[in-house]
Amino acid sequence: MGVNHLSKQYGGRTVLSDVSVEFPAQRVTSLIGPNGAGKSTLLMLMARLLEPSSGAIQWQERDVSRIPVAEYARHVATLRQAPGFNMRLTVEELVAFGRFPHSRGALTVQDRRAMDEAIAFLSLESLRHAFIDEISGGQRQMAFLAMTIAQQTDVLLLDEPLNNLDMRHAVQIMRALRRLCDEQGRTVILVIHDINFAVNYSDHIVALKNGALRFHGTAQDVVTETRMADLYELDFEITRNHRGCFCNYFTFREDHS
Amino acid sequence: MRMSLTKTCWFAALSIALLALAFVLLGSGLDTDYVIPKRLVRLASIVIGGICVAVSAIVFQVLVNNRILTPSIMGYEAVYLLWQAMLLLLLGTHGLSMLGVHGNFLVSVLLMLTYSWALQWWLLRRGRNDVYVLLLLGLVLTMVIGTFTQFVQLRISPGEFAVFQGVSYTSFNRAKPQTLLYAAIAVAVACAVVRKTLAVLDVLALGREQAISLGVPHGRYLQLYLALIAILVALSTSLVGPTAFMGIFVANIVYALVPHARHRVMLPLGCVVAIAIFLAAQLLVEHVFNYKTTVSILVNLVCGVYFLALIVRKRGAA
Repeated sequence: MGVNHLSKQYGGRTVLSDVSVEFPAQRVTSLIGPNGAGKSTLLMLMARLLEPSSGAIQWQERDVSRIPVAEYARHVATLRQAPGFNMRLTVEELVAFGRFPHSRGALTVQDRRAMDEAIAFLSLESLRHAFIDEISGGQRQMAFLAMTIAQQTDVLLLDEPLNNLDMRHAVQIMRALRRLCDEQGRTVILVIHDINFAVNYSDHIVALKNGALRFHGTAQDVVTETRMADLYELDFEITRNHRGCFCNYFTFREDHS
Repeated sequence: MRMSLTKTCWFAALSIALLALAFVLLGSGLDTDYVIPKRLVRLASIVIGGICVAVSAIVFQVLVNNRILTPSIMGYEAVYLLWQAMLLLLLGTHGLSMLGVHGNFLVSVLLMLTYSWALQWWLLRRGRNDVYVLLLLGLVLTMVIGTFTQFVQLRISPGEFAVFQGVSYTSFNRAKPQTLLYAAIAVAVACAVVRKTLAVLDVLALGREQAISLGVPHGRYLQLYLALIAILVALSTSLVGPTAFMGIFVANIVYALVPHARHRVMLPLGCVVAIAIFLAAQLLVEHVFNYKTTVSILVNLVCGVYFLALIVRKRGAA
């Protein structure tokens, strides 16, 4: 999946200008950058929730705007922050909606199996019959993720899946995404603010700033102190050890000169 | 007391059958020449009106993701009232009789549909399927048209004003059998389309973004459902007059009765609830109040109290 000279304007304001980037298949890619960089806009364009002002999005060498929405939903699933709605649903019923692109509402045996797999994948069995308005925010996010997984698409697009989650739930979600990629060969593309999660859990990083592409490449290569400092305008100190990579930007370095 | 889904449906079906039977037979003296045929016509217009109100309100609330709005916010009823007032102003009470019930029905339906298509065309031309822009425009137009209607009301004579008041209330005595037949066919077609797309309606209730992500072309279905709603509202308004808050009551009573249900259950139950309310109100008007009050007033009174009780009770339980 990739984008070609993609631009988006709201009124006269440009939020994304001439972005061209390729997202490697069967890898976890994080979109990073400061607020207002255009990360979510790029993701929404790829999800077809927004129309590009110019440029195109490719999926398997096809122009996405020529693929019917119903077909696209069998290949690319999107999760924004858990939306509010008026229906009273259980976790299982929510997950069942993930099968809509395949069965248009009438569940088949195959659909049931996909639902069971998705629920088991996130260890949500105990919450299966709980109402989603009665469980915690972290559990709700997991339930929505289960719906997206049950959609059984090659590509998953996630917009800030860790928003408002505690550390344990955040780690749970990131581990699940990693496993989706490693065990099932799915392509995961997510917008994420926590740079440490991005570095430790993704293969590929795409950095945006002010609506333009700053740099992209493997997480190992592109996450350096100078690049991060330039991207976020903060003082970064990056240490690597056997448990992974840690970016410290919380405090400023004391000047010993 | 919690009833299972099937029990609720059976209970609803039974009570509506009893109500309909009472409505047709009560004090009729089994007069099959005049009383009962007349009542059957009214029953038919109650059934068609009820289905229109319930389906249009519930579908509309899915589209706007809001449970206290009805299609009347889009200004359909305002257009109808302005048209009736203009008729009286330009042609006087003769105007209404000149057009005939039949002509008035057709012209009213066509006017409301034209209005709705103009709104949708404007929305489509802007290239944005933003429901909120549509709602805002509808609300503003409702107020503008309402003001025009008030201005026209000031110009007409007291006698004509009384006639105008008559058409601005819900009433089941207006419709003629042939009009009802046309309306029934149109409603059946609209309901068949909704029935075919019930699963899509459930997905739309998840919100625009989730719906697109699940492969539902949101814009196209928005257009389709708005067109269906326009047809249903135009029919019910021309048949039985403006129904104002009825849609909100019906939809929310259904949500309270079966909080945990899909549209497959909610829509039919909504129709039953709407028909039951109309039947009960008409029974009271005919037998208890002797036509000294109107269906609209009774519906608003009874449903308003019930609705208030529902909210207070829910607050207390929470």
